[in-house]
Amino acid sequence: MILAFALAAAVLFGCGAYMLLKRDLLRVVGGIMLISQSAMVTIIGSSQSRGRAPIGVQPGDVVSDPLPQALALTALVIGLATVALLLALVHRVIVVFRTAEVDELAAGEAEHEAALEAQRQADRAEAS
Amino acid sequence: MALLLPWVTGVVLVALDGRRRDVGWLAVAVLAATLALLAVLTAQVLTGGSRDVLTGGWPAGVGIVLHADVLGVTFATLSVLVLLAATAHEVLAGVRERVFPGLVLLLAGGLTGLFLTGDVFNFYVFFELAMTASYALTTYGGGPRQLRAAMVFAAVNLLGSFIFLISVAGTYRVTGVLAMHQVAERMPGVDPNAAILVAAGFFIAFSVKLGLFPFHFWLPTVYAGSRPAVAAILSGAVANIGAYGLLRFGPGMFPGQLRLAATALVVLGAVSLVYGAVLAVARGDVAESLAYSAIGQVGYVLVALGVGGPVGLTAAVLYSIVNALNKTLLFLAVEIRGVLVAGAFAVGALSVAGVPPAAGFVGKLEMFRAGIVVGSASLVVLLVVGSALSLVYMFQIYQGRFWRADPSAQGPASVLSLRLLTAAVALLVLATGLWPEPLLSVSGRAAEALTAESVGTAGAPG
Repeated sequence: MILAFALAAAVLFGCGAYMLLKRDLLRVVGGIMLISQSAMVTIIGSSQSRGRAPIGVQPGDVVSDPLPQALALTALVIGLATVALLLALVHRVIVVFRTAEVDELAAGEAEHEAALEAQRQADRAEAS
Repeated sequence: MALLLPWVTGVVLVALDGRRRDVGWLAVAVLAATLALLAVLTAQVLTGGSRDVLTGGWPAGVGIVLHADVLGVTFATLSVLVLLAATAHEVLAGVRERVFPGLVLLLAGGLTGLFLTGDVFNFYVFFELAMTASYALTTYGGGPRQLRAAMVFAAVNLLGSFIFLISVAGTYRVTGVLAMHQVAERMPGVDPNAAILVAAGFFIAFSVKLGLFPFHFWLPTVYAGSRPAVAAILSGAVANIGAYGLLRFGPGMFPGQLRLAATALVVLGAVSLVYGAVLAVARGDVAESLAYSAIGQVGYVLVALGVGGPVGLTAAVLYSIVNALNKTLLFLAVEIRGVLVAGAFAVGALSVAGVPPAAGFVGKLEMFRAGIVVGSASLVVLLVVGSALSLVYMFQIYQGRFWRADPSAQGPASVLSLRLLTAAVALLVLATGLWPEPLLSVSGRAAEALTAESVGTAGAPG
C-alpha cells in the first residue's frame, strides 16, 4: 500500500517537473498542480495507521489516522488558492504580452541586457 | 493579538481603494501598531522567557500552539519594521495599485504567524499565506518586467513550497508528531537515512526562498524586475523566512543532521558568497548588482550556520538581521534623488562592506569571531575576500549612481519626506552599528534558546 502511494507520488512529481520545464505557461501551471497533488498523496501516505474512517467508531475498531487527512484538506485548499492566483497571473501575462510562451517573455529581458551593455560601453568610452 | 490585527485590517483594506492616501496611511498605522505590540511581546519574552498561547481554547496537542521565543519575536519584529519602512516609502511616493496596502498587511500577518508558530504544519500554512501575498505584490507596478518577475517568482517558490510540504509529510511519517519541540525530541530515535532525507527536503525548500547558490537562479530577475519598495520587502522581510527556517529547523530540530552536513553547508555558503560578490561586481544594473549581492550576503548566514555552536549561531542570527536592514535601505534609496539620499546610500553601502560605524561591521565582526573559533584560516581569508569584493561593487554602484556626469542620471530631487524616511532607516543602521549591545545580546540569547533546545533533546531518551 505504501509502495503504491510512493509510486503515485513519484510519478506525479516526475510528470509535474517535466511539465514545469515546458515553454507554455499554462503547462507550467499544470506542472505545479501535479506537484501539489504529489504532495497530497505523500501526506495521505504518511498516516500512521490504516482502517475505517474515524467517525462513529466502535471500541476495538481499527481507525485510520485522521491527522494527515485534515492536513491534506488544508493543503488542498491552499493549493487551490495558489493555482487560482497563478492562473490569474498567466491571464495577465497573456493580456500584456499577447503570448503565453516563455521565450517571448525573455525577449524583453534581452532588450534590457542590450541597454545595459550600451551603457557599459559609454562608461568605458568616458574613462578612456 | 499581534497576529490578528494586520490580518483583519488586511482583509478589509484589500477591498478598499489603496490608491487613496488615507487608506495607505491606515495601513502604515496598523503596521506601526503591530510593531508596537511585537515590541511589547519581545520585552516580555526577553524578561520572562518564552510564551505559549493556545488558540481557540483547545487542550494542548489539539489546538494550534503559538510559541513565542527570542528567535521568533526577533525575526517578527524585524520583518514588520522592514514592511513598515517600505510601505511608508511607497505611500509617500504615491501608491499605484489599489491592493498594495492590503497585501502588505496580509504579508505582515503571514510573516508574524510564521515566526511565532510552534507547529510544523502551521508553519506551512502561514508560509503560504505570506508567499501568496508576496506573489501578488511582485506584480505591483503592472509592467512587463514586473509580470515576468512575478511569474518566475511564483513558479519557483511554489515548487519550493511543495517540497516543504512533502518534507512535512515525511516528518510526520517518521516521528508521528508535528509540534516543533516534540519533533526535536523524537528526531534522535529516527532512522538516520529517513531523517537526513527529510532534513535535506527542508534545506532545499528554505534555500530556494533565501536564494542560496545552487537555488539562486530566480532571484536576480525578480529583485531587479520588481519595484524598489517591493524589492525591499522581498529581500528585507520575505527572505527572512528562509533564514529563520534554516535556523529553526537546522539547529532546532535536526541538530544531528546539521552536524553531518556542516562541511557541505560551509562550502555551499562560501560558493554563494564568492559567486554573488563576483557577479555583483560584473553587473552594470544597480538593482541587479544588489540582487547578486543578496545572494552573496546569505552565503555568510549559511557559513555561520555550518560553523555552528553558540558563536556560529549568534553570528547567523545577527547577520540575518543586519542584512535585512541593509538591503531594505539600499533598495529604498536606489530610486530616489537628493541631498540626504546619497548619504543614506553610502551608509548602506558601507554597512554591506562592513566598515566600522555601520551595523554591518558588527555582523562581520561576529562572522570573523566564528571563523577564528573554528580555527580555520581559509574561512577568515574567504570572509576578507567577500568583504573586499562587496566594498568594490558597492563603490561601483555609488559611483555610477551619484557621481556620474550623465545628465539623465541627475533627475530632480525627490520629495523631502521620502528622503527623510530613507535617512531615518540609515540612522537606524548607524545606530545599531554604534550601539550594538542590545542586538548582540538578543542574537546571543536567540542562539542560546536554539542550542538549549537541542541539548535538552540530545539528553532525552529517543
